[in-house]
Amino acid sequence: MDETVAEFFKRTILKIPMTEMMTILKAWGFLSENQLQTVNFRQRKESLVQDLVLLCEKKRASLNDAAILDIVYTQFHRHQKVWDVFRMSREPGEDIDLFDMEQFKRSFKKILQRALKNVTISFRDAEENAVWIRIAWGSQYRKPNQYRPVYVVYYSQTPYAFTSSSQLRSNIPLLGQALTIASKHHQIMKMDLRSRYLDSLKAIVFKQYNQTFETHNSTTPLQERSLGLDINMDSRIIHENRIEKERVQRVTQETFGYYPQPRLEFAQYKLETKFKSDLNGGILAEREEPLRCLIKFSSPHLLEALKALAPAGIADAPLSPLLTCIPNKGMNYFKIRDK
Amino acid sequence: MAGTLVRGLSVLAHLERLETRMHRSRKKLEEPQTVQAEETALVTEIQKLRRLRDKLRAEVKRRQAGVKASTANVEPDQTWEITEQEVLERKWENLKAILQAYRFTGLSGRLTSRGVCVCISTAFEGNLLDSYFMDLTMQKPLRIHRHSVPVFIPLEELSAKYLETNIQHFLFTVCEYLNAYSGRKYQADRLQSDFAAFLAGPLQRNSLCNLLSFTYKVEPRGQSFPLCARLLYKDLTRTLPTDVTVTYQGMDALSTSWEEQRASQENLFRTKPLHHVFTSFARKGEMLDMSLVS
Repeated sequence: MDETVAEFFKRTILKIPMTEMMTILKAWGFLSENQLQTVNFRQRKESLVQDLVLLCEKKRASLNDAAILDIVYTQFHRHQKVWDVFRMSREPGEDIDLFDMEQFKRSFKKILQRALKNVTISFRDAEENAVWIRIAWGSQYRKPNQYRPVYVVYYSQTPYAFTSSSQLRSNIPLLGQALTIASKHHQIMKMDLRSRYLDSLKAIVFKQYNQTFETHNSTTPLQERSLGLDINMDSRIIHENRIEKERVQRVTQETFGYYPQPRLEFAQYKLETKFKSDLNGGILAEREEPLRCLIKFSSPHLLEALKALAPAGIADAPLSPLLTCIPNKGMNYFKIRDK
Repeated sequence: MAGTLVRGLSVLAHLERLETRMHRSRKKLEEPQTVQAEETALVTEIQKLRRLRDKLRAEVKRRQAGVKASTANVEPDQTWEITEQEVLERKWENLKAILQAYRFTGLSGRLTSRGVCVCISTAFEGNLLDSYFMDLTMQKPLRIHRHSVPVFIPLEELSAKYLETNIQHFLFTVCEYLNAYSGRKYQADRLQSDFAAFLAGPLQRNSLCNLLSFTYKVEPRGQSFPLCARLLYKDLTRTLPTDVTVTYQGMDALSTSWEEQRASQENLFRTKPLHHVFTSFARKGEMLDMSLVS
């Protein structure tokens, strides 16, 4: 086995936490059950990795096999990457999309390899007719850098592709082109949506986050759950502003619904607006140029935090539509200018 | 004389006492008569009261009997009231059940605060499959508030074309698309789960299940040659393919008999649902087994 490939194997297996080692190796599927049983998983990690690399060598594992293992690891640790969302479109009135996965893979590979001699492209099929693509970029004179790959997740016959953010921005247009042509679209554009939580991004763009519907089969009306405000809990407690509290609850439920919110970590607003003030005069009021500022809301779970603002009394209800439109519009980056 | 005064007082008291004694003794002499009179008076009183008591008892008994008789007449009225309520309740339960069962017609709905929530229940060959929902807002313009239709179904296209102008056509078209998708998915799932033994490799499919590609054998354990099939469903409202290509794996030129076989296979896939084709392969295999045994 090539030294670089062996090194790549070693570093990829080393990344895997001991508690997940067996699961990930089984999911990878390259080493059989019998072969895995010959390895002592109780030894120190460095020795275990050495044994595993030897086993892979014996079985003539290729660079592509190592790349697939890297994909499996990333699938288990998708939160370690930050994901962008691209939307593709095609001209209206086109023929029916007869998506052939093998054809897509061939086409995608061909387009990239034609443009770049040195590039490693690997595919792994996933559930729901999706594919995970791993791309290690090289250049005209340099071999692909296996330690800075880009991942693309594409669900067939949808206009959306999810890519892991990469420092190497120069190759993004090429990647976009390959995706567009291989999936038989015409245009691609980057959405203003980014998060570590791939599944939440998918829920937002596929509009799968609000899925409780009223049917004749559902007996419980949807309005029963409260936001932790049990008004009738103790008769010795008198709630002042009960009417206002109930109004706030109602408005919050109407805006945010009864479903778990998709998970985002931030919302960013770039403002380029002129200063507006009630007071006449003042230095800033006379300023002709717009002020530029960046406002960023961060949270482990931004949308749940926004949902809790009004009931906690920190903000008025209803919240600004700039905050509540995030899942609907599929954006968490905004540029606001004066009209 | 002092004693005499005192004695005088006590004499008066004594005299009083004597007087009262006398009265009492006189009374005692008179008593038998008065007592008797009183006795008789009391006896008559008792008798009167007894008679009154008997009269009242008789009256109570009579009234009780009368009430019983009248309740015998009143009972039908009361039971009639009960059944009316029961009837209403039964009607209510019936209606609820009918509304719930409407799901089986494939297209049902329920009014919401905003408009209507439409439920499309898909089915294929009598098997009830997935249900999909659309929440419509009854405002101008009529629009879909949210839905559970998969992203690869061209819902936006269809709603842009028909939602405002012809809602019936819109709903029927979406029904068609969803039912056809469910049917194709059902066939592909059946092939993968029930007839895996006939497949020589994995079944290649896509989200819409409108392109299926697989390598198969007519007999799972037999010596027959593997065939490659490629099914295209260009009409998204249908559950049968529009284009079928079957080739013998790795063979270009075929003898006439082989060519006939190949063409007949193609025809099978074009005319019968996918899992039925494989069911017929399985049956042929059984018949062959049986003929070998006998």
